[in-house]
Amino acid sequence: MAVPVTAPEVPASPTTDADRVRPVSARHFVKLKLRVMGNNFRGQGWRIAMFVGGVIAGLWFAVLGFFLLAAPGLAGEPTYALMVSAFGGGLLVLGWLLLPLVFFGVDETLDPARFALLPLSRRTLVTGLFAAALVSVPAVAALVATGGLVLTAGALGGPAAALVAAVGVVAGMLVCVAASRAMTSAFATMLRSRRVRDLAAVLLAVAAALFGPLQIAVMAALQDADWTRLTGVARVVGWTPFGAPWTMGVDVAEGRAWAVPVKLLVTAATIGALLWWWSRSLESAMVGAASSGPAKQRGGPVGGAVTQLFPGALGWARRGRFGALMARECRYWWRDARRRANLITIAVIGLFVPLMVNVGGTNLPSDSGLDLSTVGSSPVLVSVSLVFVGVLASITLANQFGFDGSAYAANVVAGVPGRLELRARMAAFSVYVVPMLAVVAIVLGVVLGRPAWLGVMAGALLASYGAGLAINAFVSVLGAYSLPETSNPFAMNTGAGVAKGFLTLLSMIASAVAALPMVIAAALLGDAWLWLALPFGLAYGLGAALLGAYLAGDVLDRRTPELLTAVTPRR
Amino acid sequence: MTHEQPALALRGLAKRFDGKVAVAGVDLDVPAGSFYGLLGPNGAGKTTTLSMAVGLLRPDAGGAWVLGHDVWADPVRAKQLLGVMPDGVRLFDRLNGAELLAYHGLLRGMDPAVVDQRAAELLDVLALGDAGRTLVVDYSAGMKKKIGLACALLHGPRLLVLDEPFEAVDPVSAALIRDILHRYVVGGGTVVFSSHVMEVVERLCSHVAILADGTIKRVGTLTEVRGERSLEDVFVEVVGGRTATGEELAWLSR
Ligand SMILES: Nc1ncnc2c1ncn2[C@@H]1O[C@H](COP(=O)(O)OP(=O)(O)O)[C@@H](O)[C@H]1O
Ligand SMILES: [Mg+2]
Repeated sequence: MAVPVTAPEVPASPTTDADRVRPVSARHFVKLKLRVMGNNFRGQGWRIAMFVGGVIAGLWFAVLGFFLLAAPGLAGEPTYALMVSAFGGGLLVLGWLLLPLVFFGVDETLDPARFALLPLSRRTLVTGLFAAALVSVPAVAALVATGGLVLTAGALGGPAAALVAAVGVVAGMLVCVAASRAMTSAFATMLRSRRVRDLAAVLLAVAAALFGPLQIAVMAALQDADWTRLTGVARVVGWTPFGAPWTMGVDVAEGRAWAVPVKLLVTAATIGALLWWWSRSLESAMVGAASSGPAKQRGGPVGGAVTQLFPGALGWARRGRFGALMARECRYWWRDARRRANLITIAVIGLFVPLMVNVGGTNLPSDSGLDLSTVGSSPVLVSVSLVFVGVLASITLANQFGFDGSAYAANVVAGVPGRLELRARMAAFSVYVVPMLAVVAIVLGVVLGRPAWLGVMAGALLASYGAGLAINAFVSVLGAYSLPETSNPFAMNTGAGVAKGFLTLLSMIASAVAALPMVIAAALLGDAWLWLALPFGLAYGLGAALLGAYLAGDVLDRRTPELLTAVTPRR
Repeated sequence: MTHEQPALALRGLAKRFDGKVAVAGVDLDVPAGSFYGLLGPNGAGKTTTLSMAVGLLRPDAGGAWVLGHDVWADPVRAKQLLGVMPDGVRLFDRLNGAELLAYHGLLRGMDPAVVDQRAAELLDVLALGDAGRTLVVDYSAGMKKKIGLACALLHGPRLLVLDEPFEAVDPVSAALIRDILHRYVVGGGTVVFSSHVMEVVERLCSHVAILADGTIKRVGTLTEVRGERSLEDVFVEVVGGRTATGEELAWLSR
């Protein structure tokens, strides 16, 4: 956190009697967070604009969600009330649990490590940070959206039901925020520790894989319009922490008021357990904040300095500027917890999304009117899903200079030409990503039983990845922002979350558009494309990436110092 | 290019942050072969000035020349002649000491064999060889300063710009760094460094400039600036501010 924190009233105020220490409450943390946010805005017009943009986006989603969740009440359809609240609320919790890990990160305006020296009990600290975490645009937006459930309950069961639903919605928001904090904090701890780092990778994979059963459940729900069975599922979900807080209001409306205290108990226990879990990992984050990399490396034959710099996989690289840049980047993709978390995300999402899209489609029975089985296994759909994977992989470089932070000064001082810089970064990232993409293509080919499509798949992946690299070269030079220097790889600055969201969206759309020819060709060219896709995709991707580095490198040369300022965290 | 070309020339450098003036027009000539101390209290603008001088921060006005090469118009030539150790900037600290040196050397276009040889020597002399494969992020503050200095020296620059090189360094390492810099100047190099520690400056420098509130208050050779008095007296006089407490803080002695 870059701002000089003038902690108002956190330690004993010096004006009062020195022996009387005023207790610290959650209110102080909330005030501190608002103060830090305000100071961040000072004199930074674009930050205010970003924040306003975020608020507008949040409001839009809030209103949309509100009407979706209020629909059963507004339409007077009690049959769907339980389903909407159980599934809608459950999805919300799941989103808060998983999305910060995979996409958005968490707002760490108040970095826990900053409180390490203050005489605060763990309980005070956790409740305080928790209260501060509730004061955020996404939390408020989600609260507004779930207000729709209150309306539904009120319309179906009168004021009493509405009141219970309101309590449930607030409790549900507490579950959401506590879950996201506990989850990211725990993973941050694990990714820092060398011992369980690989376990964390596996767990992250499992977490992302949870999307799988969910998707199959949704598919199953859509295929047989058997609402009674779904109601049964919703009822079960309603008893889990995912659905308990959201379904209380409907329970009252449907005459099951006895369920309310039990569900309140489930919710309270969940919140308590999550906060306890969070406090455990908080402690390790506060103590171990100094060292954020793997502590030491294994011994072994120590060669010359140059030999040490180059990883084994880069043995072939020339020992020059390009080679050095690439070797350093390769080391960083593995040694920097923040970058490694990104690599894991690509691997997991890259494998699961295309599998789900393509296999999920074929699982649908053909008697459901639409003959989805052919859609599910067409080269076009495969291309679309793999274009997504390629774009997703390249998006990781959208803030590639932000990963370096002020260390980028070394390259500025050495006067590295922009084109060389960008090409080396692309090459180093590709050392990790291209093999991953190959695995994705092969696994998908085997699972679908279509080895003949391997060319189409690899072609789509390479073309979209290369086009994405080109787009993100520009984004990374023009839209760079600093990342907080904390030990939490999921931490984001206030406002940076919004900035990241905008940039990600922009660059994803642009990259997807750039890769569109692959999809169009797959649709138009038929069987010939099975052979042409790979060479064409390779040439397209490679050409796009090189052209991007060439053009963006020019821009980089002109605004190197500005870029350095942009990625240097303010302190 | 005349013989008396200054190693570093600054003309009218100015920078403001959010309306607050950090550096308000600095002119400075650093003669080749000099050991130049830039003195100033905290927040005087030393880091800002040096960052603009080496091409890390774009000035609002003014320019900088390294041995006659414009840092902002002809950065490639100027940067080849420069070795820089910035302050408050991270190193690529997820590398170990040897890797970091190799990176800097190759980035400067040096021959790998020369890099290997010099890196080994520097690590040895700076007593960083024992750290072995420890990553720089896990170094102590003093060790980080030393490896930073090694990175700046590796390619044999003509001008060395160091921001607070003696901060957080223990006396033994400080003596070592002084010795290295001394040899470097005797060998024909030029050093510019910033500091707020008088003893170091008095001991090392041939020239001094005192910077306060973003402007140069005193400049010249050490004897010119110091005159008959101690450098500390001159510094306190120029900078102003209180140096003793009065009635307040009575509660400190309870
Ligand atoms: N990035 C920045 N944004 C805003 N103000 C800054 C920034 N960098 C420096 N300053 C301000 O400029 C002044 C000079 O800072 P600096 O050059 O770091 O001083 P010194 O190195 O002499 O201690 C200080 O008042 C500081 O607060
Ligand atoms: Mg400074």
